[in-house]
Amino acid sequence: MNLLLRWSVEKLKREKIFLLSLFLGLFLVAFVVITLGNMFYQQAEDVDGLIAVALDPVVLKAIGVSLSMALVSTLIAFLFGVPLAYFLARKELWGKSIIEGIVDVPLMIPHIVAGIALYGVFMRYGLIGAPLRRLGFVITDAYPGIVIAMLFMSFPYLVNSAREGFKGVDPRLENVARSLGASHWRTFREITFPLAFPSLLNGAILSWGRAISEFSAVLVLAYYPISAPILIYEKFTSFGLRASRPVSVLLISVCLVIFVVLRVLHRRSK
Amino acid sequence: MERRKILLALGILMVVLACIPVVVFYTHLVEVQEPKTVKVFHAGSLSVPFEEAERQFEALHSNVNVQRESYGSVEAIRQITEVGKSGDVLGSADFALIPNMMYPEFADWYVRFATNDIVLAYNSEMSHYTDEITPENWYEILRRDGVTFGFSNPNLDPCGYRSVMVCKLAELRYNDARIFEDLILKNTAITVSEEDGTYVIQTPEQLEPNTGKVTIRPKEVDLTALIEAGGLDYYFIYRSVAVQHGLSFVDLPDEIDLSKVEYADTYKKVKLQTAEGNTKTGKPIVYGITVPTNAENPKLGLEFVRFVIGESGQKIFADNGQPPIVPPVGSGNVPEELKSLVQLEPGESTPTPGTTPPPTSTPTPEEPGFEVICAITGLMGVAYLVLRGR
Repeated sequence: MNLLLRWSVEKLKREKIFLLSLFLGLFLVAFVVITLGNMFYQQAEDVDGLIAVALDPVVLKAIGVSLSMALVSTLIAFLFGVPLAYFLARKELWGKSIIEGIVDVPLMIPHIVAGIALYGVFMRYGLIGAPLRRLGFVITDAYPGIVIAMLFMSFPYLVNSAREGFKGVDPRLENVARSLGASHWRTFREITFPLAFPSLLNGAILSWGRAISEFSAVLVLAYYPISAPILIYEKFTSFGLRASRPVSVLLISVCLVIFVVLRVLHRRSK
Repeated sequence: MERRKILLALGILMVVLACIPVVVFYTHLVEVQEPKTVKVFHAGSLSVPFEEAERQFEALHSNVNVQRESYGSVEAIRQITEVGKSGDVLGSADFALIPNMMYPEFADWYVRFATNDIVLAYNSEMSHYTDEITPENWYEILRRDGVTFGFSNPNLDPCGYRSVMVCKLAELRYNDARIFEDLILKNTAITVSEEDGTYVIQTPEQLEPNTGKVTIRPKEVDLTALIEAGGLDYYFIYRSVAVQHGLSFVDLPDEIDLSKVEYADTYKKVKLQTAEGNTKTGKPIVYGITVPTNAENPKLGLEFVRFVIGESGQKIFADNGQPPIVPPVGSGNVPEELKSLVQLEPGESTPTPGTTPPPTSTPTPEEPGFEVICAITGLMGVAYLVLRGR
């Protein structure tokens, strides 16, 4: 015992900062594990309910809607967010902090407020909704509505992460490539983008996850077609916990698998 | 030296952690001695009058903080019966939900204290055909192409199933057998069947609305935002909400708007079966209030109920488009403190003096510090194992 203690103390000396980090950090991990573990544990007593839910086309469709619409939202965020992040990382100009502040705003406003604001703009007489309607696009209570609500609430994660990624790429590397005759575009494609890619992927994962979980803003803009968080809410309200928990467990399980796979890819890409 | 620092740091950490259960226990103790919070769960349509009641009640009782949470009525009750939150007051937009969902475990009495009715509200600036609409032709307007209307989800919200009932009752009132089909059946997955003069409407879990014509949201309040923004032409809503939001509305005839006890026999002809399998029968809209048995501060809860059903409360409700019932009608094991204010439901025997108030003990754990200690010990164990594993 004494030996063990001495050994531990020596180990402590060398790795004390890590041990302390681990010890304190475990609180947060435990926070999640206990909360979700409790939910999964309760569900384990009702496996039949979970299987029934996993075979229910309505539930599968709702989860499919959430996953796919979140993917579309993330792709749009990627398409517009990466250039914005690159610009913010490389250029200094007056008012840049204002742009950065605007990008962060969706993180701060209550989701229901964002939903109502989006509704005002995208409804049939809204600033954007009216011209789109004339072209035949309906936003409210339709797939585009879900994507728009998700996009608004989740793109800042991608932009912020991508911006830090681009900042981490040494401009000297870009200069070297350019001095060797590569065009600006080719430098971006072959040097900057691949080096920043892990951060971009990280941002995309965060943004996708955030989009799946969005509830309030989607609720205002597009209650139908039903997405997973709304179905869970409906089941809870009309049938109670017994009916809503298996759907939650299923959604979390599917997301957990996808997230772990993405994280593995993310580590590889580094 | 280094080692000492580590030990010191760990020591401080342990002391801090050890303090947590003490602090938790202490604050718990203080709360028990001096109850200050009244937790109120209520239907969305009670938000405005309860907010006013909260203000006046807090002015009367210093040191008391009223915390209100607004839900659909069913959801508000579920917060108590299923989620396990403890509430000191519960206000439902349908008094019948209290005996149906809460008796006997979570409540054993209720008081009917105010009424409401369904109107067809609109945005006077942006909705279509508002200059033409009257209580006699509203269903014609709703039928027109390009006119959209909404109601809240009948499975989740009493306002929702009442709106659907109003559409069915309208057929009887206006002698037009196609109103329900044109407005509801064609645009949603809702179905209806007839049995000896009464109609049973079924609302499936998935309502599948034709979203170009009908807008459905979980709560009546969610739809109000859409009307105010102008994205929706008309919606069925409680009079109170229309009054409080300053919306213009079509005052539907008494025979269909679920307002008058005199027409209870007419309303009764329409029933609605929710996805859950509960059957709701059309009846006048009457609010119910109770103090749940799991209340943490049942005395203050009761005090709040006394205030709401008393004279000041009655005035608040009258001003907000929810005519109070005077005197309020009590049902079940009504507490002594309220008996002077309410009229007991006719035909009900007063409880014998022996059976005294409901058990008000709360199911809160006796030792709140216990889990914390377990968690800390567990984490330290894990940390030790990791350490040893190296």
